[in-house]
Amino acid sequence: MKTIILKFIAVAVVLVSVMTSCNKDKTEDPETPSPTPTVVEKGTVTIDLSHKWGFSNETDFVLGIDLIHPMKHDTLNFTKLKYYISNVKLKKADGTWFTQTESYHLIDLSEVSSLAITLNDVPVGDYTDVYFTMGVDSTRNVSGAQAGALATSNGMFWSWNSGYIMLKAEGTSINSTSGSFAFHLGGFSGVNNIVTEKYVQFAGNNLTVTKNHTSSAFLQVNPGWLWHSAPSVSVLNTVHMPGTDAKTMADGFFTNNSITLDHIVE
Amino acid sequence: MKQFVLYLFIVFFVLSCKKKTVEVKVYSESDRWGFESPSHFPSPDYQFVNNEQTRLRFELGRYLFYDTLLSSDQTVSCSSCHAQAHAFADHNVKFSKGVGGVLGHRNAPALSNLAWYPNFMWDGGVNHLEVQPLAPLTNPLEMNETMSNVVSKLNASSFYKEKFKSAYGIDEITDQKFLQALAQFTSMLISSNTKYDQYLTGTTTFTDKETRGLQLFRDNCAHCHKEPLLTDFSFRNSGVETTIVDIGRELITQDPNDKGKFKVPSLRNIDLTYPYMHDGRFFTLTQVVDFYSDGIQQSATVDPTLGDGFHFTSQEKLDLIAFLKTLTDYYLIGNPDFSEPKR
Repeated sequence: MKTIILKFIAVAVVLVSVMTSCNKDKTEDPETPSPTPTVVEKGTVTIDLSHKWGFSNETDFVLGIDLIHPMKHDTLNFTKLKYYISNVKLKKADGTWFTQTESYHLIDLSEVSSLAITLNDVPVGDYTDVYFTMGVDSTRNVSGAQAGALATSNGMFWSWNSGYIMLKAEGTSINSTSGSFAFHLGGFSGVNNIVTEKYVQFAGNNLTVTKNHTSSAFLQVNPGWLWHSAPSVSVLNTVHMPGTDAKTMADGFFTNNSITLDHIVE
Repeated sequence: MKQFVLYLFIVFFVLSCKKKTVEVKVYSESDRWGFESPSHFPSPDYQFVNNEQTRLRFELGRYLFYDTLLSSDQTVSCSSCHAQAHAFADHNVKFSKGVGGVLGHRNAPALSNLAWYPNFMWDGGVNHLEVQPLAPLTNPLEMNETMSNVVSKLNASSFYKEKFKSAYGIDEITDQKFLQALAQFTSMLISSNTKYDQYLTGTTTFTDKETRGLQLFRDNCAHCHKEPLLTDFSFRNSGVETTIVDIGRELITQDPNDKGKFKVPSLRNIDLTYPYMHDGRFFTLTQVVDFYSDGIQQSATVDPTLGDGFHFTSQEKLDLIAFLKTLTDYYLIGNPDFSEPKR
């Protein structure tokens, strides 16, 4: 029985090799030596986000406590802060890139597990920057039902005016005429586009990725930048669609120095 | 010979009996099924990307379309306001009733040829067929539900667990697959076999009245109700009122130039889908034709092509209505594949 199986395997191997060699003859130059497969050694990178408040990130940003805005002097008590970070890429010292595929992350301050973005199978080496998109690229806003972080059941998609709510900040404030605030920021086209490319440099430190090891970049995120150019909640306490107000608030947070490197752990 | 006749009779009898029994049709993965664009139509917008068509997925979408489970108190289904007998418009009411009997603000549109639509709803706020159901599902005046609740209700149903498993190979139902299944059904609601279509493809002829009506239509109406889908999908203010009550497209674009503009509706099955206009203000085709003839109300955004009306003669009005009645698709409203499925 064993010999029959062996014979069968032998025949099969011969057949397959004959067939594949036939194929190869048609497509490949026989003079070219077959390249030896180089095994790329890989490690893991995490981008850890801690949320801060104040001019110099001096206090922790926490849901459910009173925070005073350093510029507007509004007292803000956040019940919700959620936003998208997508298309995460790492720039290597040699100028090449690691790009995460299907890279959509919903950062939710009430879900601790969402505060670290894990990048698997990153080739070993020294990395100088992390690049990412604040918000959700326009393509995914117009391509029908999506999955994972982009699922509509996450409550981050406008049903009546299609597109992602790229940032949701809700809470209460004694400075608001209604006693509360709700900022749902989105918009992916024309003058209302808030989707923003952003990067954080690892400066002289470089993030070194080693084989089968996890290296981490700890970043500080300061949501106070939402009010960099936007008025006090006593003037504006609600945004529910793309437009000038959404653009002003999002630009404050998405384009400025709101996300900074704290430290690296390798 | 006599025996043969008797046998024949028995066979017929048995066959006729069989037809009357209610059967739940069982479909399998191998059933041939697919979207075919009618030869006289342009190419469709919806391309089934990541949502390959199968009969099982269509049937799943059909169950969902007819299921009141989707609404917050389980009283309203998609079909509540989109009934096959009315070419998937509501049952000839101005505004549709949502959960708790509350009325919506705009007339429920008829559904057909959705795969050709670049956007959805009267104001065009929805940009893709798959995400259209979110609007009625989450609107408090309609189905008043959240997507996360819809997903948990479906996952709590052994019926749907099994259906999604066989249609999409998934153990846990997601909102993505739910929305895609609905699109499998709604995209197939194709209206392409009206008398008008048969006239276009040369398989039938029009009466003199219908021919005159078609000419009038082409001279005056087809500019917006572009053939053969009978809409150009643009947003226009048709001049129903001087003081705009519903801002329409402006809500989406924030552009005051869009005040009171609504998507040009397709005229397919128009005889079945009264009342007419975004607010259901006209109940008869005569009223509509009279309005476009002599009733245009002027306002800042009224469509310039309307002028002060088309000033039809009474014979022209009758001819136009005769043509509009050729737009009824009995194949759509009578297709058993689109009817409420048996459980």
